[in-house]
Amino acid sequence: MPRDRFIPEVHVWRLLLLWLAMLACFGALTYRLWNLQVAQGMEYQRRLAKQSLRSVRIPGIRGRILDRNGVRMADNRPSYCVSLYLEELRRSGNVQRTVDNVMESLYRIAEAMDRPLQMSPQDVRLHLGRRTPLPLVAWRDLDEAAVARFAERASEFPGAELTVEPVRVYPQGGSACHMLGYVGRADSASLPDAGDDGEAPEKYHYYLPEMAGKSGIEKRLDGVLRANAGGKLEIQVDVAGFKFDEVSRRAPGKGSDVVLAVDSRIQRAAEAVLEGQRGAAVVVDPRNGDVLALASAPGFDPNQFVPSVPAKVWNQLLKAEARPLYNRATGGEYAPGSTFKPVTLLAALHSGKVSADMRFTCPGYFELGSARFRCWQHWGHGSIDLQAAIRYSCNVYLFHSALECGPEAVQAMARDCGFGRKTDISLDFERPGLVPDNAWKRTARRDSWRDGDTCNLSIGQGALLVTPVQMGMYAAALANGGTLWQPRLVGRIVAAGGEAQEIAPAKASGGPSWEARHIRVVREGMRDAVNQPDGSGKRAKLPNVTVAAKTGTAEYGVKGAGRKMTWMIAFAPFEDPRYAVALLVEDGVSGGTTAAPRVKQLLAQVFAEVEGLEMPVPAPLPEIPAPVPETVPEAAPVPAEEPA
Amino acid sequence: MKKRMQAGWRIFLAQDWLAVLLAAGLLAAGLSFIYSASWRGEDTGIVGSWFSKQIWWAALGAAVALALAATDYRFWLRQSWWFYAGTLVLLALVLVAGKKVYGAYRWLVIFGIPVQPSEFAKVALVLVLARVLSSPLVRQRSFGAVLLALGLMALPFGLILEEPDLGTAMILVPTTVFMLFAAGGGLRYLFGLAVLGLGAVAAALSPLARFVLDDYQRERIATFLDPSRDPLGSGWNALQSAIAVGSGGLSGKGFLNGSQNVLGFLPRTVSPTDFIFPVIAEETGFIGASLLLLGFAALLTCYIRTAWTAKDPAGSLLATGIASLLFCHVFVNIGMTIGLLPITGLPLPLVSSGGSFMVSTLAGFGLVQSVHVRRMRREV
Repeated sequence: MPRDRFIPEVHVWRLLLLWLAMLACFGALTYRLWNLQVAQGMEYQRRLAKQSLRSVRIPGIRGRILDRNGVRMADNRPSYCVSLYLEELRRSGNVQRTVDNVMESLYRIAEAMDRPLQMSPQDVRLHLGRRTPLPLVAWRDLDEAAVARFAERASEFPGAELTVEPVRVYPQGGSACHMLGYVGRADSASLPDAGDDGEAPEKYHYYLPEMAGKSGIEKRLDGVLRANAGGKLEIQVDVAGFKFDEVSRRAPGKGSDVVLAVDSRIQRAAEAVLEGQRGAAVVVDPRNGDVLALASAPGFDPNQFVPSVPAKVWNQLLKAEARPLYNRATGGEYAPGSTFKPVTLLAALHSGKVSADMRFTCPGYFELGSARFRCWQHWGHGSIDLQAAIRYSCNVYLFHSALECGPEAVQAMARDCGFGRKTDISLDFERPGLVPDNAWKRTARRDSWRDGDTCNLSIGQGALLVTPVQMGMYAAALANGGTLWQPRLVGRIVAAGGEAQEIAPAKASGGPSWEARHIRVVREGMRDAVNQPDGSGKRAKLPNVTVAAKTGTAEYGVKGAGRKMTWMIAFAPFEDPRYAVALLVEDGVSGGTTAAPRVKQLLAQVFAEVEGLEMPVPAPLPEIPAPVPETVPEAAPVPAEEPA
Repeated sequence: MKKRMQAGWRIFLAQDWLAVLLAAGLLAAGLSFIYSASWRGEDTGIVGSWFSKQIWWAALGAAVALALAATDYRFWLRQSWWFYAGTLVLLALVLVAGKKVYGAYRWLVIFGIPVQPSEFAKVALVLVLARVLSSPLVRQRSFGAVLLALGLMALPFGLILEEPDLGTAMILVPTTVFMLFAAGGGLRYLFGLAVLGLGAVAAALSPLARFVLDDYQRERIATFLDPSRDPLGSGWNALQSAIAVGSGGLSGKGFLNGSQNVLGFLPRTVSPTDFIFPVIAEETGFIGASLLLLGFAALLTCYIRTAWTAKDPAGSLLATGIASLLFCHVFVNIGMTIGLLPITGLPLPLVSSGGSFMVSTLAGFGLVQSVHVRRMRREV
């Protein structure tokens, strides 16, 4: 066939080549597919999850705080909310159309419930922008009537639902407020990352409102109270960010209950005797260091802090002169006055320089060089022994004893009794107090220790500072004959499953070592102080129970202004002490007239309510007059004790 | 009468049954995944009318294919000039009286049914090229043949570009070149054409291109070269399509379980049409996606075999042209969904939802069958 006649033909080789080229191209597609789907498949699955999966942390149910008898101190109550599911109310197009639709729905629900709106269009818009896949909680904490009205007509409101949120509640009101503390909204930075279930830790996308302890036990034991494994919700969102489906849900855990050593009845009794005053009271079980009550007055109602404290309330609390937020029991540092005298005497006895039957004569004053230290009883106590010195709270006897054994022995004994360091009670803002010594005086006062300082220290004056909780533990040590406990605030922790973790009583490190005969004399002196008609603490005497106590009145502030911290430490029953008390009233008259009747009423209530003993109806507590400035200035700090 | 019956029977038996089976399988896959792409979860079921319309269009296309297979392709080749002229008129009409969708005039509404003349222009061009390039009056090896073929292509190319529909217009170029190659065109001219083509792509990216290409077209090409430069704009489809395909993994997430489409990340307007492949790849994984590719490769092989066994060069060229169209669509469509090629609005033959394209693809299939039925008995 001649070529130049252009007879067309089928070019088999060209066809074959074309076919192979096409197949090669398909091969390239397959190779690329392998790369995408198999080699990088995981990477693309991760990117898919990243753009369409959102994890939400559901807070756990916060554990309760109970007193030693199971009385609820902090609990959760249901709060009824109306939530809107935005994916059911969305409108296509501009976001404003969805906002309008949601607002219209809100208006209708508000009308049906007869309750004002809690949301503005701005709130709705913000929620749509930031928390699109989550339901919008439009009303919180609705009352029963509103809930009933909503439930009646719920079918008229598509996309709206009644939901329940737990809210912290303190059933005892302001009782034990400083100890319990309060909760507030947790900031998400403090919340745990997703990863509880073994996956790589990664922040949750959304956190539902969660409570965290902001002070007191609520803060200290936040990790125990808050369920460790909160719930996790995984939702699938569509391209607009609305919820499409729930992928998985891990139910939230329940936090552990904290059972306090506190007895709410004793706590209430302690708060009752401080009513209207500034002060603190600590009741300790001398057998194991259990803190039965830890009261500070004035207080506040932690319920008004939930879910968040209104600015007005907060400012009021912050600005109040009596400082109701301040826990005086652990954070207040005060001069102990004569309640410190047993420390001095025990130190003197321990040193061997003074014995119980040694007598000193009190002429009503004590001369040290040119300075004259007065005893509170101007005409003196005459020649008395150690036990009587406690009973009458004679200053002169103490000056002699302290000078005999030297200040180092007194300081050492004070430290052994737990002063000058924190008790490590599990509460924030505890203060250590101060046991002044030579080194302290050199740095703080640029002066050396003098005998006058020893005299002041011996009667709990001068620079010495203690906290009420230290005094409580010290009173317990006097009661039990020499065991200084660590304050035990929490008795046990009960996990949600029911298994309880007991917190064993623990002795404080470096407790005192008293000889039995020494402490016996001191205790008997304290018994006499209450039970003898001329004792300094006679106003604390109870009919059916033998109370032992020591009063204390410490001047503070500008010399001669007459402002006094009034103390009493006590324990009862004398024979088998079960309660040790330290009570402080700021700006009282004296330990004997201000603190003693309060201790009496407190103990009377404790024995009546807790132990079922018959007790007289307590008389109304005496009014405390305003402090009267003294007219006669003295050369040295003058400790005053009550007039007989 | 009896003779006719016998002829009909012979035609029936002589069909390329493998090709029929493959085409039917691809159609079925397409219908399934159009269903899946319309799926909006248990509560909503399927939305839109893509699925039901597709069934009607497939039925219509099958009828057209049957009619074309039963008739002699030489008749259609003889009438090819009429078709060519007819589609040119329709294309011109689109520009005058077309329906505007997304800023482009691609549709003519005939009795309420939207029709895309550009789809039929492809088949018409293949017919007319098959006729011309197999004519004894044309010297296939000459430069003139190349110029003639390019000239015939240029008319519909220009009209389609004017709509504008860059993707469809671009398809005409390789189809013409492949046919020239198969017809025995001069290799140096074809090589020169290839160089010119690459130069054109380079020019399209240069600033001068704005005189020829619209902004959106240049944007798409630029985004193709760097998809991350605009992840929320024109890069969105490319990115989401790659995530859909990639996350499918080896064996996929299962039918109706692809989330990219249900959640709307893969835009819902394009998932049953141009982006049906990511839906398939996400739900059936590498196994399903490569099986689909294998199906297309097998169908393509059937077409090439028909071109090889054709009775005359015209039939061979016709089958080659239809094969080229099929290949270009599959390669460009899948290539764009997996980031090998820029995003162009080209559907996947037999699988994507779309009426005119379905009918024109099945018409092409019918023409190839017609060639196959009347093949030379020289099978190996």
